[in-house]
Amino acid sequence: MRFFENQPAVTNAPEGRVEGVAKVTGSGKYAAEYHAGNMCYAVMAGSTIASGTIKSIHTTDARQVAGVLDIITHTRKPLVPGMADAAKIKESRFGLPVFHTDNIYFKGQPIALVIAETLEDATYAASLISAEYTTTEAKVDFDKAHAAVPLNAAGKERGSADAWRDAPYQSEAEYTIEHEVHNPMEMHATIAHWEGPDKLKLYDKNQGVNNVQRTFARLWNIPADNIEVFSEFVGGGFGSGLRVWPHCLAAIMAAKQVNRPVKLVLTRPQMFLLTGYRPKSWQKVRMGADAGGRFTGLLHQARHSTSVYESFNDGITRISRMVYNISNVKTEQATVPLNMSTPTWMRGPGDCSGAFAVECTVDELSYQLKQDPVALRLKNLAITHDPESGKPWSTHYLNECIEKGAALINWQQRKPLPGQDKEGDWAIGYGMATGMWNAGRGNASAGITMQRDGAITVKTAMTDIGTGTGTGIQNIAHEQTGIAKNKIKIELGNSHLPPAPSQGGSTGLSTISGAVAATCNALKQKLAGYAAAQDDTYKNAQAADIVLSDTGISWQTAGNHFIAYTSLFEKNNLTTVEVEASSGPGAERQQYAFCSSAAHFCRVKVHTKTGKVKIDKMVTVADGGSIVNEKAAANQISGAVVGGIGMALMEEQATDQRYGSLIGNDLAGYHFAVNADAPVIEVAFINKPDKNINPSGAKGLGEVGIIGCAAAIVNAIYHATGKRLRSLPVTPDKILLG
Amino acid sequence: MEKQTYSRRFFLSTSSMAAAAVALIPGNVKAFYKNVKKRFIPAKSVNTLSLTINQKQYTVQADTRTTLLDLLREQLQLTGSKKGCDHGQCGACTVHVNGERVLSCLTLAALVQNQPITTIEGLAEGDQLHPMQQAFIECDGFQCGYCTPGQIMSAVACVKEGHTHSVEEIKEFMSGNLCRCGAYNGIVESIQKVAAR
Repeated sequence: MRFFENQPAVTNAPEGRVEGVAKVTGSGKYAAEYHAGNMCYAVMAGSTIASGTIKSIHTTDARQVAGVLDIITHTRKPLVPGMADAAKIKESRFGLPVFHTDNIYFKGQPIALVIAETLEDATYAASLISAEYTTTEAKVDFDKAHAAVPLNAAGKERGSADAWRDAPYQSEAEYTIEHEVHNPMEMHATIAHWEGPDKLKLYDKNQGVNNVQRTFARLWNIPADNIEVFSEFVGGGFGSGLRVWPHCLAAIMAAKQVNRPVKLVLTRPQMFLLTGYRPKSWQKVRMGADAGGRFTGLLHQARHSTSVYESFNDGITRISRMVYNISNVKTEQATVPLNMSTPTWMRGPGDCSGAFAVECTVDELSYQLKQDPVALRLKNLAITHDPESGKPWSTHYLNECIEKGAALINWQQRKPLPGQDKEGDWAIGYGMATGMWNAGRGNASAGITMQRDGAITVKTAMTDIGTGTGTGIQNIAHEQTGIAKNKIKIELGNSHLPPAPSQGGSTGLSTISGAVAATCNALKQKLAGYAAAQDDTYKNAQAADIVLSDTGISWQTAGNHFIAYTSLFEKNNLTTVEVEASSGPGAERQQYAFCSSAAHFCRVKVHTKTGKVKIDKMVTVADGGSIVNEKAAANQISGAVVGGIGMALMEEQATDQRYGSLIGNDLAGYHFAVNADAPVIEVAFINKPDKNINPSGAKGLGEVGIIGCAAAIVNAIYHATGKRLRSLPVTPDKILLG
Repeated sequence: MEKQTYSRRFFLSTSSMAAAAVALIPGNVKAFYKNVKKRFIPAKSVNTLSLTINQKQYTVQADTRTTLLDLLREQLQLTGSKKGCDHGQCGACTVHVNGERVLSCLTLAALVQNQPITTIEGLAEGDQLHPMQQAFIECDGFQCGYCTPGQIMSAVACVKEGHTHSVEEIKEFMSGNLCRCGAYNGIVESIQKVAAR
């Protein structure tokens, strides 16, 4: 079974994503949907306290349930060599050493794993697990705890605080953002199957199969090649699949324990607890400007939550150092350990939180200065050089994004003063903000297999979490080889394919496009080598000399010295042609700085009696370099904006401050934007290639769609109502009381 | 299969148990909870069920606790219907029963015997995609694809119900199907396209 081969044959499929048919017919298999012979089910039971140690676990009732095969706890488990003792556990850097400790760090921490014949048996039995604990005081109140944690410098201070102490225009305020949860629609799941004593197969939901493979090769002390990780269809990630979480190890342990394939699917409430979240944060921003509106100084301080067993740093103040030209910049950060599970990167990590505070501050300054927020930003953007490294941006078109966005939303209709525009009980407001993200690129490999008829399959271990990576690979391979798209198949999301890094941080397409281009060149070279046996023209050919088509190879121009693939395969006695190549960043990284960016514009209606906010119009213009696939790219951006609407108006994971329980930890209790919460999002691109970053010229788009989005909305609410709200999410109560 | 209902006496006995336990809180909470669980949750019982799914007859042995969704996914390997919450909060498991949209995670398999059930696997006619499936591909009405089968089953029903007069109406009647990728632009466009036919 391969990613794009398991489609039923349909004859009326329109052009769209390569995996489109598989997704609309339900035939694409996600992690939990594979079936292994003799498979059984595992369900985890969690602690009922937030801090302490386990005295004893009672499994007797659960064991009596029909169908139960075994129960794993910290006192009964198979040996995991990489966690054999305390030193090894520490060395493993696995995060939560699930079932390897009697310490309880957060409420709901898995303490037992029930393995049973059916899901129903396992679920019921897990509900009968109980434990006795020695309880210690739990710390879960971020608001109370954070002030006591000292801040540390985050990056080198630029200039000095004295230089702008008396700036004529200053804005200083504190901002908070509640704990948010990724909640991809597919719940994390693992099917673990030990095919031999040291041979493991995993069907797992993650964003990087090689990362999972390496992790368990280390923990189980077996060669990486003995572990095959399948993640062909991934039902969303948003960062939650970048780490290897405890349930994945738990499934593998269970499979070892009962010597059968085991399926473990997290429940939705467990998704809130065991696969990370965007940490809760506090920020303080002070910003100054001279009379002309030039920014003269910025102090950005941030603290955010982490767990007591691991430190996670989100990098909230990073954004302050890259967007504007400011001579005096000081950034400070700290993390606040709480009895909660460990947070992780969530879409636009760090920058998304930081941009909210900084872009609201810029908005405040614009009203103080009586300057248009658009003009004020254009005046201060660091558009030629990266203020942090001093290197020139390879390409950077945030100014164009802002100008284009302003035109698309009719910014000139906006009244300069807040609270001036009313339609009955609705107050109308316009707001805008910007977002930026460092455009990264990693090392990756890709392979191509060519058949006699000229059909090729492009292969890489990289996952496609819904971003359209597979379709992008097909587009790039088509462009590079000239072979028709319907003759290009894609295989991905399998650790046995040519290795690639995890898909995250908007680096997926930027990274893999280089590898695909390199592999296409390798194919041309290899075919030229075979062609040289028939025609001397092809001797010492370079990839650039080779022109491929659906049917054969040509020299420099199509049809010139043409040799059909069939003839090439026959003369050289070939069944397939296989190539593999790698590619990664190089010297260009010394010369240039790279970024993607976006400008968000929003028109809101705020109901003055109920505090309800309706997003009336939302325009986002992004610079992500070349747009490889317009539809998928626009979908990425509009989807990120929908995430931004959630962040601005509704997403918050409440915690019981006394007992450490998550409150409303399901999709009825935790609200993210539904269809009716979002308008039809308008998206536009600059679509100019960044020729230095990689052969495709694409810079990455996953993050910038959400970074700054919440600020644009909150700024629009200010413009509508005159109320400056600094705590996300901005729920109706905050508007009415604000 | 014998129909099981809770008797008046059962209700009175458990509710008086509850009243007694409330009076004794917190000491007896655990014991009370265990007793209730013992009384409320019958022992495992497996029965023969007869289901009509995508115009095909299935006779299966199923646990009385098995939902239609789990039966489809775990026993019949019809994994097109998705589990996104298991609580009727996300719509990923939407199927049609008697031509109407139903949340299969909130439906016990035993309760829909011999009623026509259509899942995403049964929407296409042979090698011909349903127009809504075509529209979702054309309009890129998905990203990760996990909520997609539920969206499409709801979208087909939404058109049939006639809730497609405006973008706002479509959005309202599609708000029971969550999409965390936020592919709502394409979902709405797909429905408009099919409704216009």
